[in-house]
Formats: sequence, structure tokens, C-alpha cells
Amino acid sequence: MSAPRRLEVNEVWKSYGGDLYAVRDVSFVLEPGEFLTLLGPSGSGKTTTLMMIAGFETVSRGSIRIDGRDIADQSPEHRNFGIVFQGYALFPHMNVAENVAFPLRMKGMGKRERLIKAAEMLEKVGLEGFAQRRPHELSGGQQQRVALSRALVFDPDALLLDEPLGALDRKLREQLQIEIKELQKRIGISVLLVTHDQEEAMMMSDRIAVMADGGIVQMGTPADVYLHPATPFVAGFLGETNFLPGLCQGASEGYVSVKFRNGEIGRARPPRFGGVPATGDKALVSIRPERVRILKPGETMDSVIEGRVVSGTFLGRHARYIVEAEGQQVVVSTTEWSEATAVPPGTAVRLGWSSDDAQSLADVKV
Amino acid sequence: MTASSSGALPQPRRFLRLLNFRDSLWLLAPIATLYGIFALIPFALIVRFAFADGGTHFATVLESRILVRVATNTVVISLMTTVVALVLGYILAAGLWRAGPKMQRVMLAFVMLPFWTAVLIKNFAWAALLQDNGLANTILQGLGLTNGPVTLLHNRLAVIIGMVHYVLPYAVFPIYSAMQAIDRKVERAARSLGAGTPSVIWFVILPLTLPGVYSAALLVFVVSVGFFITPVILGSPADMMIANLVNYYVRELVDFNAGAALALMILGAVVPLIVLQQSMGRGGRHGAH
Repeated sequence: MSAPRRLEVNEVWKSYGGDLYAVRDVSFVLEPGEFLTLLGPSGSGKTTTLMMIAGFETVSRGSIRIDGRDIADQSPEHRNFGIVFQGYALFPHMNVAENVAFPLRMKGMGKRERLIKAAEMLEKVGLEGFAQRRPHELSGGQQQRVALSRALVFDPDALLLDEPLGALDRKLREQLQIEIKELQKRIGISVLLVTHDQEEAMMMSDRIAVMADGGIVQMGTPADVYLHPATPFVAGFLGETNFLPGLCQGASEGYVSVKFRNGEIGRARPPRFGGVPATGDKALVSIRPERVRILKPGETMDSVIEGRVVSGTFLGRHARYIVEAEGQQVVVSTTEWSEATAVPPGTAVRLGWSSDDAQSLADVKV
Repeated sequence: MTASSSGALPQPRRFLRLLNFRDSLWLLAPIATLYGIFALIPFALIVRFAFADGGTHFATVLESRILVRVATNTVVISLMTTVVALVLGYILAAGLWRAGPKMQRVMLAFVMLPFWTAVLIKNFAWAALLQDNGLANTILQGLGLTNGPVTLLHNRLAVIIGMVHYVLPYAVFPIYSAMQAIDRKVERAARSLGAGTPSVIWFVILPLTLPGVYSAALLVFVVSVGFFITPVILGSPADMMIANLVNYYVRELVDFNAGAALALMILGAVVPLIVLQQSMGRGGRHGAH
């Protein structure tokens, strides 16, 4: 296995003519051995970005570099990426071994040698014994593994995955997420994944780049992006959150104080970008449901607001309360639930959170 | 059908259901009548003519000294037509496949044109083009490629040109539909795995379109075997094909029985090919969804 290389996407733009940009000013570095995910809804430019890297879309502006060498003008067959397409795109007229050996054949490797290498690769993904099968004789998960083998067998510079698990059912998807992640670590290859599934992104990635409207909104580790979202879009796209609007009451000790609708004051981390809001500015705070607590009598936290329980639902892994507070509904998720301690609807409660768990958001559209 | 249903009706409800189920079949009545009058009845007559007096008429045909010559002509001309039509058809289908929507419509119109033009008109048009003082010879001489006129008409070349023109749509469409069934992502996958354009064509496109090519080959061959007027107009007497021999029996020798026997023999030779062609359409797609 040759060492993975550094993929650098530098201020890349894509337009299909006119002022409409499918991708605008996207920059990131895929470090050797890293697993980076482009996460976003459809139309966010994530697939177009991947296809520009693969060479199937031209780059309108900017550069794409492998170890510093610009490859933006190279045709797809001269780049060295292993790609797993949506729906796998296996060759239906070739058996599994021929599919996996195909890239080696294109490199001019002899038949014996390439079939041995293909067999070794198939063994790594647990498909020994399937070499003579045709793709249509395999299950979705097996086809997916063949596609992975075919994309990895020729020591590519990086593995590009375009919604590779979209067609599979949830259970199989989760299983394959773990398998791909393990395979990636074992082989030590860099992976760029494109997906709209935030759980998939969280589960597999070292870093996530959240995309919207053709640009990267925020990039960071899954925990960072989830717990400290920069914008309302990121906060809402990754899991569930409570948005509490208010007015800034000033900043101190690295936190901002926000006065909510009912006049209560809570503290939160300052926005990730756009600077600390001035006193009197509008502010929007995001708090994840599992980071808000219903306080016991006498208990206190950094920020406390009052409310009234509307409903409580036990969901197995956790329980979910809806609490009327600050003139809106606040969702509280807790794993501390028993029939004895359940808070009945109509009960007046105090909600609290730690200032580090609340994140004020930048005042932008995405 | 009407006669039997107006008879005894032991279970009216069941009958109504039957009527319901068969609703759509009634719509086929006119075409079934037409088909019966113009195809099945004539076919029955042919069978009767052929088998009148036992097998003697088959013997007459088989003893004919020109049968082998004509049959060989038919197979050779049909095979050549098939090969030329497949090569041209594949190129046309590929162009059609890769063309933009506008260009596609224009190309489709040109491919379909021979379909909508009567075969006689096409043949006479080719005769006009290929004759000694026709367009083809004028151009050849104008370019200084030849001194005098080249004989392009009333030979095998002219027959094949005329036939290819006619059968081209039969070659294009099975190949084109095989191409359309190819997932574009498969092609991209091949590229990403290091295949340049020639490799993509050789290792991916061609194998995936082969079932369409086979289907087109059989279709074109079967259609070619039945050619009748084209060898007469564009060919020489030496290019006589099997359908012309039927005509010869019926019109020159006024031997309807021998003509019918020969017609049945041709049918017997062609039907297996038609069956093969029809079964390929279903089985030939590599089992892809």
C-alpha cells in the first residue's frame, strides 16, 4: 500500500454559466489517512464538489491539488481516485473478480497477477468465495463491498464515496458504516464522503464540512460541529435543537448573556463567527434537548429559566419532555426517567443548562 | 364468441365477470377480423396449395436447378446487408445516444425516414443516383476519379445499397435501446478506474450492447431474406433472390402449387430465427434489473 496523499481543494467555484454558482469558494484539505465528510442537503453542492475532484465536472475557478500538484486539468482516468458511486455502478457483464481486477487490467497488469490481487482485496472485505458471481446475484451489502474493493485495489490517492449507503436499509447501513470505517483505519486511506445523512457523517468522520447553497458553512470534528454550531442552519441540520431568541445583554468571561422573551437571562458561548454581538443586538441561542435539564428543587445551574411541562413521552432510550418556556416550546431529552420520577403535564419546572452547552449563533441565512 | 355467449347462461354473475374481464378483448375484434381475412385465410390457402397432390410440389421445387443458386444468393446478400447495416447502425445508434436533445430529434427523423418511404420510391431513387449518368457517376467523374461512367447499377452492390437503406432502422433501434439501458455511472466508474475512451468502448459499452447487436442482426437478416422488389429494380438477373423465385413460379410458370411450397419452405427456415430473436429481447440484458 502506497502512502495516502494530501488532497487540497482550494477556493473552488463551479458555475453553469451566468451568476448561478453550484459551488462557491469551497476550500478544504483532506489530510493523509483522514476521513472527511461533506454533509448537506440536496442542492448544497456536495456532489458537484466531489465530481470536480473526480474529474467528471470541470472547475470554473480554483485549484485541486494532490501533494501540491494541480490536477484540475487532468481527465478522470488520469487521476488516481477510487470512487464508489451511488448505486455502486458495478459492471453487470463481469463477475466479481473481473470487476475488482478491472482497474489493474487498465494499468496493464497481467491476468494472473491481477486476479491474485483482486482475490486478496475480496478477502479483506469478507467476500472470498464470491469471485465468480455476477453483480446481480449479490445482495446490496455485498455489491457495496465489491464496489469498495474495486475502488481500493489499485492503491488510489484517496477514496471518494458518493452517498454509498443510500440504497440500503437502516440496519445494514449502520453495519456497513462500521465496516467501512474499520477498513479505512486498517488500510490507512484518506476518505472523502458525500452524504445528506447526519448520523452517518457523525458516525464515520474525523471531520465534517457542513455545506449549504454551494458553500461550506462550518467545518470541524463531529462533536464540535454538533455541540457548537455556527449558524441556525448547522444547528438545525445536525440533529434536533432548541432555538431561543433574545437580546444580547453583554459579554463577559468568554460568554454572552442573553435576555429571553420573558426577561430571564441565560448564558451561552459567543457565536463561532461574526464577532461578539453588542449589547442590545438580537441574539439566537441553540441548546440541544439532551443538554437542558429539568432541575430538582434547590438545584441550580449557570442558566435557569422557568416553564411548565406540556407533555412527557417515554421513548425507550430516552424520555422527551415538551416544556412551555419563554413563550415557546422547549424540548428536553433525558435518560434519567422512571415512572416514579416522571414529571406530570402542568407541573411548573425550572430548566437549566451549563453555559458551555449553549451556543449563540451567527446572524446569517445559512 | 358472440354466438356462444348468447346461448345458455347457467351462472349470470360469472358470465358478467367474464364479460368484464374480456372487455378489452372485444376491442381487438376489428384487427382480428382483418388479420384473419388478410393473413390467416391466405396462409391456409397457401398450405392447401402446397400440399395438394401430396409432396410432389415440394419435389418440383427441390429439383429446380436454380433453387440452390437463388438460395445461396439470398443468404449471401442478406448476410452482407446485415453486416453493413450493423456497422452503420451501431455508429448511428451511438451518435443518437450521445447527441443533445435537439440533434437527437433531427437524427431520429433521418433514421426513421426510410421507414416512412415506400420501398419502390427508395429503389427508384437509388436507380437514379447510381445509373451511368446519375449523381454518383457525375461526382466520380467530376472529381477526376474515373474517366468514364462506372457501372453501379444492376449489380449486387446496388442491391445491397438499396437493402441496407431499407433495413437500417431495424438495425439502429435494438442497438440504441441497448445503449440507453446502460447506466451512465457504469461508464464513469470505468473512467475513474483508469479506462480511456477506447477502453470504455471496448470493455464496457460494446459488451453491454452486444445483446442489442445480436437482436438487430437476426431482425435485419430475417427482413433481408424477404426482399423482392429491390433485386428486380437494382440488381441483375444473377442477383435473383428466393422471393423472386416464388414470383417466378406464380407469374411466369403459373404454378401456384410450387410457389406455395417454396413459400412454406422459406417460412420454415425463417421462423426459428424469428423465435430466437424474440426470445433474446428478454434474456439478453445480463440479468440487470
